Amino acid sequence: MTQGIGVAEMAVQSDIVDDAGPYDRAKALSAFKLGDLTFYWITRLSAISVLLILGGIILSLIVGAFPAMKEYGLSFLWTQRWAPSADPPVLGALGPMYGTLVTSFIAMLIAIPVGIGIAIFLTELCPQWLRRPIGMAVELLAGIPSIIYGMWGFFVLGPFLANTFQPFMIRLFDGVPVLGAVFAGPPSYLSLFNAALILAIMVLPFITSISVDVFKTVPPVLKEAAYGVGCTTWEVVRSVVIPYTRVGIIGGVMLALGRALGETMAVTFIIGNSFRIQSSIFAPGTTISAAIASEFAESDGLHQSGLILLGLLLFVLTFFVLAGARLMLLRLEKKAGK
Amino acid sequence: MNPIYVRRRRKDIVVRGLCIAAAAFGVTWLALILVTLLYNGLAGLNLEIFVADTPPPGSTEGGLRNAIIGSLIMTVLGVGIGAPLGLFAGTYLAEYGRNDKLTSVIRFINDILLSAPSIIIGLFIYGAVVVPMRGFSAIAGCLALAVIVIPVVLRTTEDMLLLVPNALREAASALGLPRSLVIKRIAYRAARSGLITGVLLATARVAGETAPLLFTALSNQFFSLSLNKTMANLPVTINNFVQSPYAYWKQLAWSGALLITLTVLALNIGARILGAERTAK
Amino acid sequence: MSDLSVSVSSTGRAASPTLPEAPAKVTVRNLNFYYGEHHALKNINLTLGTNRVTAFIGPSGCGKSTLLRIFNRMYDLYPGQRATGQLMLDQTNILDPRLDLNLLRARVGMVFQKPTPFPMTIYENIAFGIRLYEKISKSEMDDRVEKALRGGALWNEVKDKLNASGLSLSGGQQQRLCIARTVAVRPEVILFDEPCSALDPISTAKVEELIQELAEDYTIAIVTHNMQQAARVSDKTAFMYLGELIEFDETSKIFTSPSDRRTQDYITGRFG
Repeated sequence: MTQGIGVAEMAVQSDIVDDAGPYDRAKALSAFKLGDLTFYWITRLSAISVLLILGGIILSLIVGAFPAMKEYGLSFLWTQRWAPSADPPVLGALGPMYGTLVTSFIAMLIAIPVGIGIAIFLTELCPQWLRRPIGMAVELLAGIPSIIYGMWGFFVLGPFLANTFQPFMIRLFDGVPVLGAVFAGPPSYLSLFNAALILAIMVLPFITSISVDVFKTVPPVLKEAAYGVGCTTWEVVRSVVIPYTRVGIIGGVMLALGRALGETMAVTFIIGNSFRIQSSIFAPGTTISAAIASEFAESDGLHQSGLILLGLLLFVLTFFVLAGARLMLLRLEKKAGK
Repeated sequence: MNPIYVRRRRKDIVVRGLCIAAAAFGVTWLALILVTLLYNGLAGLNLEIFVADTPPPGSTEGGLRNAIIGSLIMTVLGVGIGAPLGLFAGTYLAEYGRNDKLTSVIRFINDILLSAPSIIIGLFIYGAVVVPMRGFSAIAGCLALAVIVIPVVLRTTEDMLLLVPNALREAASALGLPRSLVIKRIAYRAARSGLITGVLLATARVAGETAPLLFTALSNQFFSLSLNKTMANLPVTINNFVQSPYAYWKQLAWSGALLITLTVLALNIGARILGAERTAK
Repeated sequence: MSDLSVSVSSTGRAASPTLPEAPAKVTVRNLNFYYGEHHALKNINLTLGTNRVTAFIGPSGCGKSTLLRIFNRMYDLYPGQRATGQLMLDQTNILDPRLDLNLLRARVGMVFQKPTPFPMTIYENIAFGIRLYEKISKSEMDDRVEKALRGGALWNEVKDKLNASGLSLSGGQQQRLCIARTVAVRPEVILFDEPCSALDPISTAKVEELIQELAEDYTIAIVTHNMQQAARVSDKTAFMYLGELIEFDETSKIFTSPSDRRTQDYITGRFG
């Protein structure tokens, strides 16, 4: 570097600039160079590790599931029988897939209206002083580990439903076509419906907190304009807030659905682990995750490979649901001009 | 009054009522769960829980010492491995790669991993660690938890660093600060409470995780500090005891559940208080 | 308005007996700057005289801040921005892509529009930058911090609370802390990017006074939207409009008898 004049001038200013010239700085800075580069690569590699984890998950699932894929092929998807101790083992995913979809569907049926209702309450109706405590309670509900829900469902909710709600519904729909079969007896501690209700309670806070977040993206002027022409709270919500945030709400709901599909501990205790598909939602069933949780540790060979194949199916399913959810939420963010 | 308006008002009142009912419904569940948990958990909570190990089948003596210590070890190690990785990865996204294509891909994948079923993480670690190591081990459990921690910390780190005003970075650069020091000394410091919040939330998330431990760390009836062997931990112990026929085991499960829940709630509340302090500033 | 500008310039620094022409510290030749496709600066030519204050004025969006941020390559932090032409700091080509930017920025300090104290104590705010380049003892460091704070005209106000957070100071004090922080690293050039736009009139007066004192030791460039301020503190003034340098001359000349019609219009308040 040519800094002849620069140095000369440093000398002129020596009364304030004692001795530290550019050369010292260059030395000090070259020491930082290595640290700078190291830090950059540490962060970059850490970021890339996220991609490696995803790749690792997919790879290890495919490798583990390969024997079962070879053995059963596509018929795995529509076989209902699950007999791991038969010789040779007969494995089919239909039962757990049915249970996974049905429990998630019922759970969303309950959780969507309630979750959005709470969000409307929190953003539009709730007095200011109650907003924080209730918002906080809902978020804490989201933080409780899922095994606590499962345990509570097993000891408290299951017996309660079997003794009160289920007999009532069975009697109510007795003899009605279709619905009579859906709500058929006998009442049971362990059933698809009990699992779905627990799931609903679990995903409720997710739906609420995402809905609250997306409701906050509505520009206040829009709402004020609607109130300004004399709309009631409900009319503002229905014709301004919900249309404006529709994409975001769908994203939030899909996110919750992704959670519900893969939830394990909340359902394992109370679903009954039955691979048989029955028409009644009060009958025991199983989900993919519950099947893996209760059988995997003691499985081997083809049985284990079959369970990993179930896991692969679950992963693919949730991956698409969650990816869809994120795309929806990204669209809303763009709209909000973030 | 105008009949149309009366109808509109009536509808409004009905919907308001439904929303209030929904909120009451949600809060009621929380209250019910906490009350039964406290009622059943406190009944069995005594010193023995903390000093005695898990009992053999049928015994009516014993505690949860090995499970509590095992959970502490695995949570600390899991967060210890996962949090730095998440922190650095979030740093890359927010500081170096803001306009990168790579960044948007990683952010998208990370958001998916954030909500991916935790039992899948367990299967992944089983295939990647347990099978090659020829056995269940505490270290496999730690790694499974670390994989869950990374996306949580990454997300909060990125969000918090993006809140640091660019003017502060420019000012630091204008002093001749190399990029890595601008990040480490200025951006991290400005975002400190937010970063700690992220780590606390991640800790809360994994403290009660059960599914990924079921076939990685498994559980252990005895006290063990070895990372190469199976290790007792609260969630899997609860899982085993809940489904057992023994009343004493069920009692222990309630007490263990109470301990986990209180820990997780404390971590969550701590994280929120820290986060609120930040926004108040 | 034209009366005002005359009366201001007659009391300001520019009115002091004409300074001799200073040797060039920074030389700008045929400088062009692009934000992506947008041609933001067009063919700029000027020099910053050693130990002189040069002011840049012009309506918002004229490119004056953009120009300032080229002097320390601040634009390098962001993608899609590039400069062409020649920009020399003494014999160093600032636009050289191989140039060590940290070294450049240690030589060319910058003070920003809004005060930007670091989230640490007042003492640390100053010591932080010094420690980057020098290993010195605690007592030497104390001396340097005191000297820098005196240089920032802040010492008397903060000497009893050096361990308080930099964020606890008032806006004006924070800005002087940032000036002290910049001075502590011993730069050769200091860039001020609208340093008073977030300050009240009393703080503004203090900072302006400080800038004039600093000119004894440093070469100074200041961007301001406040014409009286330019008249008060600067020796030379550059008027910019739509990315072009319209007129560059002695401050007294710019404010009394500008040679370009557009300069005339701007300083008399006809636009901007």
